Amino acid sequence: MAAETKTLSATHSASQEGEDLRQEHLMHDPKPREEMNGMVMEAMQTTSKKYWIALAIFGLGVLILLFGFWGNQIITGMGVTGKRRPVFWALYITTFVFWIGISHAGTFVSAILRVFKAEFRRPFTRAAELMTTFGLAAGALFPLIHLGRVWTFYWMIPYPNARWLWPNFRSPLVWDFLAITTYLLSSTIYLYLPLIPDLAMARDRSTGWRHSIYKLLALNWRGTEAEWHRLRKAINIFAFAIIPVMFSVHTIVSWDFAVSQTVGWHSTIFGPYFIIGAILSGVSAVVMILFIIQSTMKNMKYFIRLEVFDSLGKLVLIFSMAWAYFFFNEYLLHWYGGYQAVRDLLTFHAQGPTAWVWYTMLICNVAIPWLTLWNRKIRRTPLAMFIITTLVNVGMFAERYTIIPLTLGEQRFPFDWGAYSPRLTDISIVIGTFCLFIFLYLLASRLIPLIPVWEVQEGQMAHSTRKLGKGKVTSVAELE
Amino acid sequence: MSKKLSRRDFLKLSCAAAAAGMVLVGCGPASRYVTRVPYAEMPEYQHIGKSTYYATTCRECPAGCGLIVRTFEGRAIKVEGNPNHPVNRGKICPRGLTSVQGVYNLDRITGPVMQGRRGKAGGQAISWDEAVALVKKRFQETKGSEIAFLLGAMPDSLYDLTSELASALKAPAPVRYSALNYLEGRDVWLAVASQYFGTPSFPYFDLENAEIVFNFGAEFLENWLSPMAYSRGYRGFRKGQLGARGYMVSFAPRQSISAAAADEWIPIKPGSEALVALALTRLAAYARSEFSPEITRQVDIKAAAEASGISEEKLKELASRFAGSNRPLAIGGGSALAGKSAFETASAILALNATVYNFNQTGGVFLTPAKAPSERFADVQALFEKMRSGAVKTLFIHGVNPLFDLPAALNAAEAFKRVETIVSFSSFPDETALASDYILPDHTMLEGWGYQTVLAGTTRKIVSAIQPVVVPLYDTRSTADVLIAAGGLPYKDEVDFLQQKILPLMSAGGTFTAPELPSFWAKFLQYGGWWQKSADYAAIDADALLKSSISMPEPHPAPADQYHLVVYPTQFGDGSGANRPWLHETPNPATTVMWNSWVEIHPQTAKKLGIHDDDVVRIRSEFGEIEAVAYLYPALRPDTVALPFGLGHEALGRFAEGRGCNPARLFPNASSQNGNLAWADTLVSLSPTGKRRPIARQESRHGVYGDGE
Amino acid sequence: MSEKVEAKKWGMVVDLDLCTGCQACVTACAMENNIPYTGEDETAYGRGLHWIRIQRYWKGEYPEVSPTHQPVMCQQCGHAPCEPVCPVYASVHSEEEQINVQVYNRCVGTRYCANNCPYISRTFNWFDYPHPVPESYSLNPDVTVRRRGVMEKCTFCVQRIRHAVDTAQAEGREIEDGEVMTACQQACPTGAIIFGDLSKKESAVSQAARSQRSFRLLEELGTEPKVVYLKGGGNYGG
Repeated sequence: MAAETKTLSATHSASQEGEDLRQEHLMHDPKPREEMNGMVMEAMQTTSKKYWIALAIFGLGVLILLFGFWGNQIITGMGVTGKRRPVFWALYITTFVFWIGISHAGTFVSAILRVFKAEFRRPFTRAAELMTTFGLAAGALFPLIHLGRVWTFYWMIPYPNARWLWPNFRSPLVWDFLAITTYLLSSTIYLYLPLIPDLAMARDRSTGWRHSIYKLLALNWRGTEAEWHRLRKAINIFAFAIIPVMFSVHTIVSWDFAVSQTVGWHSTIFGPYFIIGAILSGVSAVVMILFIIQSTMKNMKYFIRLEVFDSLGKLVLIFSMAWAYFFFNEYLLHWYGGYQAVRDLLTFHAQGPTAWVWYTMLICNVAIPWLTLWNRKIRRTPLAMFIITTLVNVGMFAERYTIIPLTLGEQRFPFDWGAYSPRLTDISIVIGTFCLFIFLYLLASRLIPLIPVWEVQEGQMAHSTRKLGKGKVTSVAELE
Repeated sequence: MSKKLSRRDFLKLSCAAAAAGMVLVGCGPASRYVTRVPYAEMPEYQHIGKSTYYATTCRECPAGCGLIVRTFEGRAIKVEGNPNHPVNRGKICPRGLTSVQGVYNLDRITGPVMQGRRGKAGGQAISWDEAVALVKKRFQETKGSEIAFLLGAMPDSLYDLTSELASALKAPAPVRYSALNYLEGRDVWLAVASQYFGTPSFPYFDLENAEIVFNFGAEFLENWLSPMAYSRGYRGFRKGQLGARGYMVSFAPRQSISAAAADEWIPIKPGSEALVALALTRLAAYARSEFSPEITRQVDIKAAAEASGISEEKLKELASRFAGSNRPLAIGGGSALAGKSAFETASAILALNATVYNFNQTGGVFLTPAKAPSERFADVQALFEKMRSGAVKTLFIHGVNPLFDLPAALNAAEAFKRVETIVSFSSFPDETALASDYILPDHTMLEGWGYQTVLAGTTRKIVSAIQPVVVPLYDTRSTADVLIAAGGLPYKDEVDFLQQKILPLMSAGGTFTAPELPSFWAKFLQYGGWWQKSADYAAIDADALLKSSISMPEPHPAPADQYHLVVYPTQFGDGSGANRPWLHETPNPATTVMWNSWVEIHPQTAKKLGIHDDDVVRIRSEFGEIEAVAYLYPALRPDTVALPFGLGHEALGRFAEGRGCNPARLFPNASSQNGNLAWADTLVSLSPTGKRRPIARQESRHGVYGDGE
Repeated sequence: MSEKVEAKKWGMVVDLDLCTGCQACVTACAMENNIPYTGEDETAYGRGLHWIRIQRYWKGEYPEVSPTHQPVMCQQCGHAPCEPVCPVYASVHSEEEQINVQVYNRCVGTRYCANNCPYISRTFNWFDYPHPVPESYSLNPDVTVRRRGVMEKCTFCVQRIRHAVDTAQAEGREIEDGEVMTACQQACPTGAIIFGDLSKKESAVSQAARSQRSFRLLEELGTEPKVVYLKGGGNYGG
């Protein structure tokens, strides 16, 4: 099946056309295998001083901001954060939802685009999958961080125990726990499977400790037909299977809120609303990462081309629109629902002293993508894309902040309203998890091939330009 | 399983297994066979020990509520009301509840101390023998007339003992006062009762059975005469035991909890209460087609309406409603009875009652059958004048903190300097204790003996028993014992004194009696006191009152840039509760503020002055100035500001020190003709200081007032 | 539990016509239940641990202004929103008392129950609050002192319920109406709080709950609260 056919303008000369095509599409710009492998290896093995400094800074960040402050919080009590009655959940859960959202990127970009055979995905599936895993790692810390008595966290795990007590399976937190664990496991496997041939590639081209690591991880991959067959099958199964897991995870995260009676949370729309939001922030985060990879790592400009930003820009625009639809839907229903507490809450969001958060959300999530991303030129300017997607993520963070502390602060009894203000510990730990994510990513970028070389090569082999009548068309052969 | 197990084998095997099991069971150490129940299955609510309950009496305010204190392993756990006690019937207020935090306060004085320098904490610990010898020496070496006793919220037994001692030493009678007294206008009622009924006793207002109540500023739910008795009265009033749910009209410049509990609040101009009461008296008489009583002759309805800000029609309507009711009642207190014309106001309120003939009637006014000791501010003034002139050589202080709760204009500290020796019996390091030469700490309320004569809130004779519920925590000694030992009074010890004092009660017709003293004493303690079976009040006559003529009080409207001042006592009482953390943590009923003082300003006034919530405001009177945090209070006259009393300590331990502000600094050193402290006429000016200090409120400002946060 | 005891349905009626907002219940509750004080800064930031709070609103404009008082404690919902969301069964319904209990030992501190409580009646131990000697002498031995990181809330003075039920059982008799008094009820100077067994028709609390003035807080949520309010004192509806 040809996934992508494009007629090219006939006004160009043939060679010009070929050149354009090559510059434009990675798939039409094949390089000898060995050279490409070398490029990836080089990118992986080159470390500048800047890299080490960054690694050290973020590592320290993890140590101090995350674990240092967390330790202090465990010893002193949850009171070192800014939580209060009635805002019992605040920045931690906000960031938790944010990370879970980010983690959707990998699956979405990789699995869904893989299932739909979107060819532009090929060079960056790995980068996106890594985001999933590390985003989950950072996010999954929060359910622990936010516990009042974290030393008893294992009481939430279902196992036969001396307390003669199972966890309460009616609690969405238990669902959460199970869903996140499942997602973390399956996304890690899903990251690992396509990695095997690349690890083997790296194994064959490295020495010393790297060689031993890759040898171990490559599971004796030799590249036989049977192996390829099985791998493709496994990837295919996982690509399909992980999609419902992904949908379920964020739905369940949304249920943490939606199944409660809290004003502004109790909404049937929260499942899809959260998923759309998650994908919006996730895809945006992929753009951010790709920009950074492309501009800091060696040889990456070859792999990550403007076409990638262009396509992802379109996706961001579409999901921004979908998000806006849900947002509008939510307001509309609550408005007509007429429940006074919800109306008060929504008015508070838009007009209260924290209205700037609400406006940030709308400007960053709707206004900015809608005003910019329709424009091909902007979509093809990586720096602009980086800025826009960063803003989208700021907007999505604002959305979660609006949904959690700002909603909890204004419940049914005005006497008990309360404004949350984050304190040093909240902010430090949140920044700490960002450090953790970046730190892990930095490490990974030098340890595993960030570009799935075999997928790119496979794609390049499949792509060709054929003469059809007077014009030329690109065609993709089905390899799988 | 491939091999089949025959039945025979099975039986063999099971026998063997059973035998082996029994052998194993029999051989092991016994502990192995104790069923180990996981901790999660522990029997719930299990604890070892039993509680013991003691009856005693609350000393936090003069009301004398009966308490039952739960003790456990020698510790006072929880203070509860004594359900049989006729004053409070098992009910109790926050101050009484936290009295365990008084006993177990972190900042108690743990033993007798000789202060090195006055005004500084610390000093040299002395033994009780030395302390008693010292007091003895002062008694012997000081001329009787140069000894002075300054007393406050203390058991009446100690007051009686001190009075005896004073007369034995030929010293002037002890002077007693309490901040609650002058804030609530209690002494005014005593003056009025002495004047018209010939007895210095508190009137008892039968709120419970009244049908319509006019309340002139009495904060009967908070402090006033007997808060628990009147709260119960309020319940009866609302429940309408004798008819309809009562209707209450409250005349007060500021809405207290009591004023808020009324059905109608009339923000009367401060100082015009007497005029209004007299006008209502006259109109009520008119409504009943009777001659207006003598006392109202001078009053001009129109002038009263003008002075009070209540329209004539409204006055007429209220008066006819009052006159038409079956059981009307007028009560008064608080700032209404704390000005120069407090006596006239109280007389007018009584006249309003008299004109509807409710004296000695159900739902009307009675006279409590107990003589109350005088607590006139004029006597306090005189004592301090004497000190200032150097005529007091030795001063004994118990249960009162004059450096905190007397008007700063009185300059008590200056007067103290002229006194050779000051002995304080305070249990806590308050301002006055620190300014003394010796602190000989008394037991706290739950550690000591005594009795309390119930002076208000009842029509029965009640003597409430105070007994220790726990052994003294520290090396403290009962002041009564110290005085008996040092003063050579003919008692063995405090208990002996108490027993002799209650002797007459054995044959006074109480709910119980006993053939001999020890049994009577035991019952007295067990029941928490002695009281009569039924009401026993002297009938009062309105004639003298209605025929008297009182000088018409002059209303004193505040000039444009000045404001009337309302100071009201809170859960901290006379300020001695300020060292209890849970009284701080209990939100103020009106403002929900915790842990600080504030100044209530009407939002309009605040807007005019450019003051916002949480701004620190300077409040200046002729006599002093303080700073307080603004609270924009909607239920207050715009020309009035209100301040809570009780905080603003410079000493008294970690919870009290440096917290809030002390309105006593604004008061004048002025007593009215009848001897009450006339603080309510004080005018203050407000100015923002430019500082801000958010105060702790339980309410959400944003939620309740729609601003802030 | 050795014997099966017949379930009671403990309930409370708060007569708002009698409630004056005096706060005696708040202090009484704290004294009975070992509730720590938190100090000015913490209470200011909404971290006071009051199990009852008296909601004070204003109605009207000066001079027709007046406050309304409404004591709100845990409503001991029959269908409690806090219960299903707790992952570790720390918030559970007690079979015997038919109240909602918080098992401090089990609580891991997710604070989900507090978010889901429409009455905002739960408080959290943000820190280990000190109980210095001798202040700690007055701690009630029947009530657990909570450590940092656990939720707490009004228990309907379950220790008193248990004490009364056990006493009655030991004496082989039925528990009497009015035998159990909660600390707040006991202190309430105007007697605005009535406590007792709602399953008995003739109990004082049942009779009061059947009053025409009765309503429940946020009834529309279907939480089936066991605290019934009687209209009055400016509060005229749910």
